[in-house]
Amino acid sequence: MSPDPPVAVGLGLNSRRLHDEDAAVSDEAAAIALAGLPGIGPASLSHLLAGAGGPSAAWEAVRSGRSGRPGKVADGTPSWQVAAARTDPQRCREAASERGIGVTWLGRPDYPLRLASDPFPPPVLFWRGDLAALSGRCVAVVGTRRCTPAGRRLAWELGADLASAGLCVVSGLALGIDGHAHLGACAAGPHGATVGVAASGVDVAYPRRHAALWERVVERGAVISETAPGGPAQRWRFPARNRIIAGSCELVVVVESHSGGGSLLTVEAALDRGVEVRAVPGPVHSSASEGTNQLLFEGAGPVRSAADVLDALGGLGAGRRPRSRPGIRQAGSAHTPAADSPAGHTPAGPEPATRVQAQDRQRAGGPTDRRSAEVLDALGWEPTSLNRVVVRSGLPVSQVIESLERLADHGSVAEERGWWQRIG
Amino acid sequence: MLAAVSSATLLGVEGCPIRVEVHSGNGLPGFSIVGLPDATCREARDRVRAAVLSSGFKWPRHRVTVNLAPTSMRKAGSCLDLPIALAVLGADGQLDPALLEGVALFGELGLDGSLRRVAGVLPLVGACAEAAVVVPLACAAEAALQRRARVLAAVSLRQAALALDGQERWSEVPKPPPASGRESREDLSEVRGQPLGRLAVEVAAAGGHHLLLVGPPGAGKTMLARRLPGLLPALSREEALEVSRVHSAAGLGLPPGLLVLEPPFRAPHHSASMASLIGGGTTQIRPGEISCASHGVLFLDELAEFPPSVLDALRQPLEDGSLTVCRSRASVRLPADCLLVAAMNPCPCGGDGSPGGCRCSEAARSRYALKISGPLLDRFDLRVGVDRPDVGDLLAEGAGPGETTAVVAERVASARERARARGVGCNARIPGGLLDELAPIDQTARRLLELRLRQGRLSARGMHRVRRVARTLADLSGSDAAVSEEHVLAALALRSEPFASARGAA
Repeated sequence: MSPDPPVAVGLGLNSRRLHDEDAAVSDEAAAIALAGLPGIGPASLSHLLAGAGGPSAAWEAVRSGRSGRPGKVADGTPSWQVAAARTDPQRCREAASERGIGVTWLGRPDYPLRLASDPFPPPVLFWRGDLAALSGRCVAVVGTRRCTPAGRRLAWELGADLASAGLCVVSGLALGIDGHAHLGACAAGPHGATVGVAASGVDVAYPRRHAALWERVVERGAVISETAPGGPAQRWRFPARNRIIAGSCELVVVVESHSGGGSLLTVEAALDRGVEVRAVPGPVHSSASEGTNQLLFEGAGPVRSAADVLDALGGLGAGRRPRSRPGIRQAGSAHTPAADSPAGHTPAGPEPATRVQAQDRQRAGGPTDRRSAEVLDALGWEPTSLNRVVVRSGLPVSQVIESLERLADHGSVAEERGWWQRIG
Repeated sequence: MLAAVSSATLLGVEGCPIRVEVHSGNGLPGFSIVGLPDATCREARDRVRAAVLSSGFKWPRHRVTVNLAPTSMRKAGSCLDLPIALAVLGADGQLDPALLEGVALFGELGLDGSLRRVAGVLPLVGACAEAAVVVPLACAAEAALQRRARVLAAVSLRQAALALDGQERWSEVPKPPPASGRESREDLSEVRGQPLGRLAVEVAAAGGHHLLLVGPPGAGKTMLARRLPGLLPALSREEALEVSRVHSAAGLGLPPGLLVLEPPFRAPHHSASMASLIGGGTTQIRPGEISCASHGVLFLDELAEFPPSVLDALRQPLEDGSLTVCRSRASVRLPADCLLVAAMNPCPCGGDGSPGGCRCSEAARSRYALKISGPLLDRFDLRVGVDRPDVGDLLAEGAGPGETTAVVAERVASARERARARGVGCNARIPGGLLDELAPIDQTARRLLELRLRQGRLSARGMHRVRRVARTLADLSGSDAAVSEEHVLAALALRSEPFASARGAA
């Protein structure tokens, strides 16, 4: 971009500031600095940029005090002018490029096309990885953090299968459904991509235990955010993040959602934008499926597998439609949802490769003895405590646990914190 | 003149012999007690004086000095009232000091000269070498349990003094009422829809494995725990004496038969302090709840609400079966050979903790789980989820009342017999190094455990615990053969990870 005059290193802050006042600040540096102003949100930032006609002009306006903070200044937070005087945009930019963080803003050619036509587009967008991932066909797979093993499994399968079909899987990098959709997409073949939309800065992994997942998503696509680098995940950032998810894809799939859950905000944002919403049906008694079942009741289309998503997108020909979970086959020795679960969940199967083979075996028959069938009947599709399986099956504890362990090795049940559930 | 008499004082759960010396000589009339008496002991001065006068004796018009030897040890309690009073009479010449030789005396005095019961007569009498003991009638039967000394009972100071002189008769020592058989308490058959919880309780009783019950409110955790003592074998005479001694020293009421024959069940509230649970105190070292529950069950309901420091103090005694409480003036060894049963909710919201089913965030749940330290959680050989029984399941056919306490207790007894034949008190106490010798496992079971170790689902320490539980399961099924895969699987299921998402492998 525009070559900035080299900063005299070692001259000290004062001389640098003098220098800054002389030279015009580059647009990129200004965009980063503007997004990092205290208490600035997308609305004020858009207003600033639109008013001044560009980041560097907007920065000049703020620094000179011509553009102040609209409304009242909250206690303790410095005014933008004061904050701007303390900020060196050039240094912000250097720090960002050191961390591999790119920046773009509304109106630039590399700004994602679909977001550019959004009613409330993020005025400035930070990204790590490859922003071009968003220019392909994108599907959002979202859901609750407090999910069931079955929901987690389905999120992983959707992520893997959709990515294998060449789509970009967009989600929110959160625990639970989001994280497993990303993981599935990361495990898929080379065609697909995945993009994580973060509420914090793209260099601030939140939740922290997802730090490794962030890196993998960066490798397989991008992590994007409208929060300036280093910015924390404030509460209000999450609904704002959800609108970016909704605005950057052509279809939103909700895997599991409690009633009143955060993913329903994504649904609302999607409906506002005319983006189609589909939901995965769940057991009617399952609290984790209350939100999704309500969506289905209100008319959202159901999603049972990636095939239903591809159908809904229509444009992808039947020839590319996966017949029986090609993603998992292709994933082969790569990763399973459990084995590299960021949350460290107990793996349901022994080893990834074994498990994939096991799935094939199971589809070819699996454990079909009478006791396994009885245990599966007693288990049902909702998370069930071991105690209840024993009660319902009427079998001795040791036999029940033996069957469950064997079924888990075959990938047809999963366990979490002593609760068992059928997953396939 | 000088008079001396033998008595004893309590230190923890043991008695310590004390020599009470009284000197009455010239000087300004006065009465002082030396030799580290504590507050209750120092107050003996006023009680003794009033009791002596009320009993028709004269108070010496001399300077009276009482010394409690050995002087370096702190004396506690009111059981020295009677020996002090009689020694004063002896020193004053109202009673022949020679009569006070060869007997030990205990008793608290009322102002009217009556004798009242004292706590801990069992250990007190046990500590005395004398051939006869004089005790208040109210605790004479308890003293007689010790079967060491001739028990002389009196109801008042005057009777004791005159009977020593041969002018009056001692009261007759009442025979303890015959120990009733095991009282019918809550029966295990009332627990329905909890096969896993029932199995866990049975295994805990048979192998002496500490048990953690995790479940939502109303699931029946307390119900299960309360039925555990009924499954334990009745106490042997030595165990009964030890438990009775601890209870006597702690001032707990003894059962009508005076010997605690049934395994005790202690359930302290979660506001319990360290000293009340472990034992201790500043002046007098008192046994704590863990000692009172020795040979029985210590039940900690709402485990997560106990102060973490108190819980972690339980770790050493649970492992060793005894503990030593040290204070600057004394250190006391207390029994702590109890079965720990703890109950807690799976998460703070009070829901059933099922994945996706409760309102708690991951962070809230792991904060709650971290209230129990890893090492303490590790002490529980059995960690079982208990959930609210489903009404439909309860009404389904074949869900009649389960086995009764008597049936299960019989199985527990025979399993314990097998463990004893192996030379260990119970399977939970098999040393790790002797596991291969005492509790061998067969090839498939070993492969299963090795797989779990490789997967990181089991720690080396957890494996030892699983093997002990598996041995108990095999004992319960009446098998003396090597532990098989079936038992190891069940043992693994009984040691679940209730907070897995917050912690690593077992």
